[in-house]
Amino acid sequence: MKRLSLEERWNLIERITQKVVKSGKYKYKLKDAIGEITVRPLTGIPIAIAVLYGFWSIFGSFAGTLCTDGFLVKLFDAHWLPWIQNHFPQSPHWLYYLLVGDPTATNSFEAFGALTSGLFVPFGVVLPAIFIFYLMITLLEDVGYMPRLAVLVDTVLHKIGLHGFAIVPSILALGCNVPAVAATRVLETRKQRFMMMALLGVFIPCGAQIGIMQDVLPHYVGPIMLYLLLGYFVFGFILNKIIPGKSPEILIDIPPYQMPTRRNVTRKVKMRVGGFLKTAVPFVLLGCIVVGILYIAGIMDWLAGAFAPILTKWFGVPKETVGPLIAAFLRKDLAVAQLTAIKMTKYQLMTSVVLISIYFPCLATFAMMLKEGWRELLGALAVLAIASFAWGGLLHLIWILMGSA
Amino acid sequence: MNEKLAKTYFGILGIATFISGIVDLIVTFGGGNFSYGILQIPNDGFRGGWGGLVVLSAGFFYLSGIKKISQIRQFAKVAAGSILIWVMAGTDVFGMICSSIPGPEDGPWFNTLGGFLGTYAPPYPPAIFLLPFSFAVIYYVGKYFRTANK
Repeated sequence: MKRLSLEERWNLIERITQKVVKSGKYKYKLKDAIGEITVRPLTGIPIAIAVLYGFWSIFGSFAGTLCTDGFLVKLFDAHWLPWIQNHFPQSPHWLYYLLVGDPTATNSFEAFGALTSGLFVPFGVVLPAIFIFYLMITLLEDVGYMPRLAVLVDTVLHKIGLHGFAIVPSILALGCNVPAVAATRVLETRKQRFMMMALLGVFIPCGAQIGIMQDVLPHYVGPIMLYLLLGYFVFGFILNKIIPGKSPEILIDIPPYQMPTRRNVTRKVKMRVGGFLKTAVPFVLLGCIVVGILYIAGIMDWLAGAFAPILTKWFGVPKETVGPLIAAFLRKDLAVAQLTAIKMTKYQLMTSVVLISIYFPCLATFAMMLKEGWRELLGALAVLAIASFAWGGLLHLIWILMGSA
Repeated sequence: MNEKLAKTYFGILGIATFISGIVDLIVTFGGGNFSYGILQIPNDGFRGGWGGLVVLSAGFFYLSGIKKISQIRQFAKVAAGSILIWVMAGTDVFGMICSSIPGPEDGPWFNTLGGFLGTYAPPYPPAIFLLPFSFAVIYYVGKYFRTANK
């Protein structure tokens, strides 16, 4: 390729500018007026509430009602599970247990084999949830709503030392924490990046986990999310006070509202869903096998006994929760699914789900945090150790005060 | 734009929408069920509580936009009110479509024709009733563009 001189470059810029830039008096349009009301707090907040309502309503109807409950549960529980239970050779027993799981299980959530739960979790529950989540996020980005949301939440996020653009990694984390950790680079200072990484690793459940929560305990997803959101702000406020460093102001360039193009949306969704599957499926399969080995070797029973005092006294959950907590290190969605096999009250179930969310980031996120620097990783781990004890214990205390524990 | 007509129309629609939102919230926080003929107020925290807040906001947008409605900034509020109704009713309709396609839990893969059509039978939530009235804003948007392009 020919290298252009400085003059040639300026000439090229001039020619492109003449083709694409129109000059003249700008006429204020209806879409500008609508754009304006979406960033003013008095009118922008109700619009943001409506956008989020639409987002979660479509998420629940498509992923939960139509795909998972409508077809995929039927496919896995009524066809795939009985077929594999009957056709997989029973001997050797350990191989059957690792790949098919519990032979008496009647649904794919509780079987816990690599070929049963290991396939049902990523393809039966998580894939539709992640697909619709990324489709909606992409549409909001391409329409031009996300920068407006950043402006709208800027004041609130400044209270915890972040700024409006922190909404980007926060919302991305609701899909998957891995790209969200990468997205913390939009924040300027080291303090802000560290805070964001710690907060999203602890208090923001990923789309896969939300998808499973929606299936396992649909009526409690709202309260759990609110409790985690509260933790996000409380710990954000504390971290902002104790961590040295600056939280500068930002200038955001807001693009006009525009129609998203099908090509862009398709490419973005394809790339994001593909990336998620590459990360998720191997970890879910590995998680099923590792947890299965720990059960067969009796290590899980030993761990349950060792951690029983902390789990039962401090957090108020059954000691068997240790299994899902270990699985949560590999995949949090898998861990929430595993909770369904443990007998517990709805309050214990809610505490267990909160614990799974806050006690440790999944392995993929952990690796991504390590990429950002080991100091940041160690700091984030210290934050989440304190946060999980404090926030998990507080929830147990709330249940005691309510007379529910 | 016939300002007086638009003002009256969106004023009445705003009041109806605002009242619907308040009723949604009262029914949800009261914990009871409300069904009258073909109207049903959802009483769950998500659709009744959060959704009620959206309907209430739509009413607020209509009412705050009717003063000097021919001004673009004011008309944008009225348009936003309709957009909020479309979000509510659109998600309700989408929910119906999603539950109408698959068959029952222990039945065939797809719903029967009777079951499919039955999903769309009344009662409906308030946003569905407000939906056709909210479309009037499209007429005014078209009128606005025709005037702006002259």
